[in-house]
Amino acid sequence: MRMLAVFEKGERIRHIGHLDIQRSVQRGLRRSGLPVAYSNGFNPHILVTFASALSTGACGKREIMDVTMEEDVSEQEFMEKMNRAMPPEMQLSEARAVDRKHSSLPPMLRAARYDLLIREEKYAARLIDAIPSMMARETIPAMRKTKTALKECDIKPLIFELNGEGKHLYATLVLTERESCKPGMLMEALCREANITEEVRVLITREALLGENEEGKLVPLETL
Amino acid sequence: MDLNERFERALEKVQKAPRYTGGEMNTTVKEWDRCPLHFGFCFPDTYEIGMSHLGLKILYGLINRESWSLCERFFMPWTDMIALMKEEELPLLSMESRRPMNAFDVVGFTLQYEMSYSNILAMLEMGGIPLESRDRGENDPIVVAGGPCAFNPEPLADFIDAFMIGDGEDVMTELNRVILERKEKGLSREECLKNLAKLEGVYVPSLYQVTYHEDGTIASVKPTCPEAPASVKKRVVTDLNHTYYPEEFPVPYTEVVFDRIMLEIMRGCTRGCRFCQAGILYRPVRERSLEKLIDLAEKLQASTGYEEISLSSLSSGDYSCLPELIRELMRRMKEKRVSISLPSLRIDSVLKESLEETQQVRKTSLTFAPEAGTQRMRDVINKGVTEEDLLEKVRDAFEGGWSSVKLYFMSGLPTETTEDLDGIADLARKVVAEYFNVPKPQRAKGLRVTVSTSVFVPKPFTPFQWAAQDTIETVLKKQEHLKQVLNIRGVTFHWHEPYVSFLEACFARGDRRIGAVLKKAYEMGCILDGWNETFRFDKWMDAFRECGLDPAFYANRERTKDELLPWDHIDSGVTKQFLWHEKEKSDRTETTKDCRKGCNGCGLQRWKGVCAYANAGSV
Repeated sequence: MRMLAVFEKGERIRHIGHLDIQRSVQRGLRRSGLPVAYSNGFNPHILVTFASALSTGACGKREIMDVTMEEDVSEQEFMEKMNRAMPPEMQLSEARAVDRKHSSLPPMLRAARYDLLIREEKYAARLIDAIPSMMARETIPAMRKTKTALKECDIKPLIFELNGEGKHLYATLVLTERESCKPGMLMEALCREANITEEVRVLITREALLGENEEGKLVPLETL
Repeated sequence: MDLNERFERALEKVQKAPRYTGGEMNTTVKEWDRCPLHFGFCFPDTYEIGMSHLGLKILYGLINRESWSLCERFFMPWTDMIALMKEEELPLLSMESRRPMNAFDVVGFTLQYEMSYSNILAMLEMGGIPLESRDRGENDPIVVAGGPCAFNPEPLADFIDAFMIGDGEDVMTELNRVILERKEKGLSREECLKNLAKLEGVYVPSLYQVTYHEDGTIASVKPTCPEAPASVKKRVVTDLNHTYYPEEFPVPYTEVVFDRIMLEIMRGCTRGCRFCQAGILYRPVRERSLEKLIDLAEKLQASTGYEEISLSSLSSGDYSCLPELIRELMRRMKEKRVSISLPSLRIDSVLKESLEETQQVRKTSLTFAPEAGTQRMRDVINKGVTEEDLLEKVRDAFEGGWSSVKLYFMSGLPTETTEDLDGIADLARKVVAEYFNVPKPQRAKGLRVTVSTSVFVPKPFTPFQWAAQDTIETVLKKQEHLKQVLNIRGVTFHWHEPYVSFLEACFARGDRRIGAVLKKAYEMGCILDGWNETFRFDKWMDAFRECGLDPAFYANRERTKDELLPWDHIDSGVTKQFLWHEKEKSDRTETTKDCRKGCNGCGLQRWKGVCAYANAGSV
């Protein structure tokens, strides 16, 4: 069986990169004593994958790990043992046992929902005010970082939803294996719309990873 | 803007932010107000170095275990963070509750190497604590220090209120109790320091007066009050099986230098290599039992999830039941996919059998430390290893499928000649030949022999404590020669820059006056001296000049037998008389046997029941 487990990447450890998160989960699984499956080979590692890598600097409310088990365990046992074995900043909130043949998560990923906390209030209001005019544009250009260069792209078709309240912006953005709109790209475009040239400090929290159900609706990936 | 927010802002801009954010597995954040005693454990180097240090893990666990005390960690920030902290007007904050250093009752530095001394001053200043003891007031923390460099405390005498000499876990709780008493009874700083001086193994430098001869050597070191003993005896844990060892280690999120379980199998070494300070400071040799080690390994594996266990000690090959230990650890760890590594492999002690067992898990490169290139030189330093020994072990390794060998040497040892340097090359050539002697189908591909030479630094409490270090010019000439003779196919040569070693020699055998140089150099901007990119040798030399002190007086001067050495009032258990005797034997190229083969009378036999190999009859 495989276990899909929802876990948090807390604010305190948001500067930890994805590779280190992966290693911490591996070590957590080793501490848990759960019957996890290992790869073969010279340096065996636990068979665990992640639905999506979360950027350094961002928090995650509902990140998903996908663990292949050597023996079946109950969801409850998995949760209990893992929460004892994981640091306070990386606790699990849910686990779901699925068949080994359950499709892998990254290809099912469609979008992610973000909460962007604007640190300075004076900018938050201006940014929220700029949303309607930005969304009314035919195209919204932004710079996408590739491995080798910066490329201009249009993020308008990549924004599912965008609104704001108080110091928060709420955005649902495309996130697939092929294309995605990073929160930083959205911020860049929105700042330009609001005529803000200073650097706006923002705390990014990825609230949920979303997939598409049979009716074509976006739903939490772990429920599919 | 509040402290936390300013800190967050710095974190957003800094490189490697996880060095500063904490929250690691198995770290302890105790409730501040519920613990009357607050201990700040300070590692005067970066997070990655500090979190690799076993002593930190032991003392962190030990202090936090007591209901009445808490321990939080401080590390030296990197230069980019220091700049950001200035910009945001941030003090140095603890990893756990993010409190500034001056909010603690006691801050303790671990002294692992001399080149971290400037970081101590930097951390104190960033922590809001006056640099010098005499400037600290009633509300400032007591600043303590321990670790191997505390055995010559004098260069730091101006900055540290009290030193702990010897095994830290033996004295830590007593020291904390005295400081707690100060807090509860409202005792003055001075009273508290005097109470600390009464503890065995604690040295309070401000309670001693040092006078000097005209030539700069020391005339006398005398206590100025009855609480301070004339000689401070080091603390010794007598039974490692019944002393505290943590059953969980903090597990960093990011990779640190030693990112694995360190299992201290024994403390001390019986070899008696004459250049080796640790070999004297950590005497006597004390082993943990097999049962205790297996138990600790299992608990640590379960609590950390680490993939690797390394056996840690000065000379793991000498552990009395090493093959049994390795076999048992491997048996139990196999299904948990944990590998076992032996770091300080001594070439004359590990059985072929256990060599074969290590490769079952991983075939990393093998490290040998012959230290010197000729038998004469090895006899001078009492490195009881012969060329035949080394070549036999190398042969075994090559036959066993290894192809990568590292050889460590020292250059600049007392009486060293060109012949001894050439001997290093000869030995390297013979190692290469051993590889090619193994039939091609049998040996692993890709021979790699790495020869590294470090510059010899004479250290206190060794038979070479009287010796002169080679001048920088001499070292450079010798390195040039080595580069030429080590131009051998299959051999890579690494050498250390002499400048750091020169400064290390100054501070290793420094006296109280050299503290002024440290302060001056720090004021001139010297920090993180253990790092190539931040080390500024020219500034250090300027600091010496401005303080009117000659570094050669400390590094390049041979001392006489009757000179009072700056650390003579510290009792390491080994007598000065024994060290001198060893120095004379070294001059005559005579070796001294391993203590396990009979007591050599180093001085520890004076302390009853401390050394298992002591013979009370020896002098």
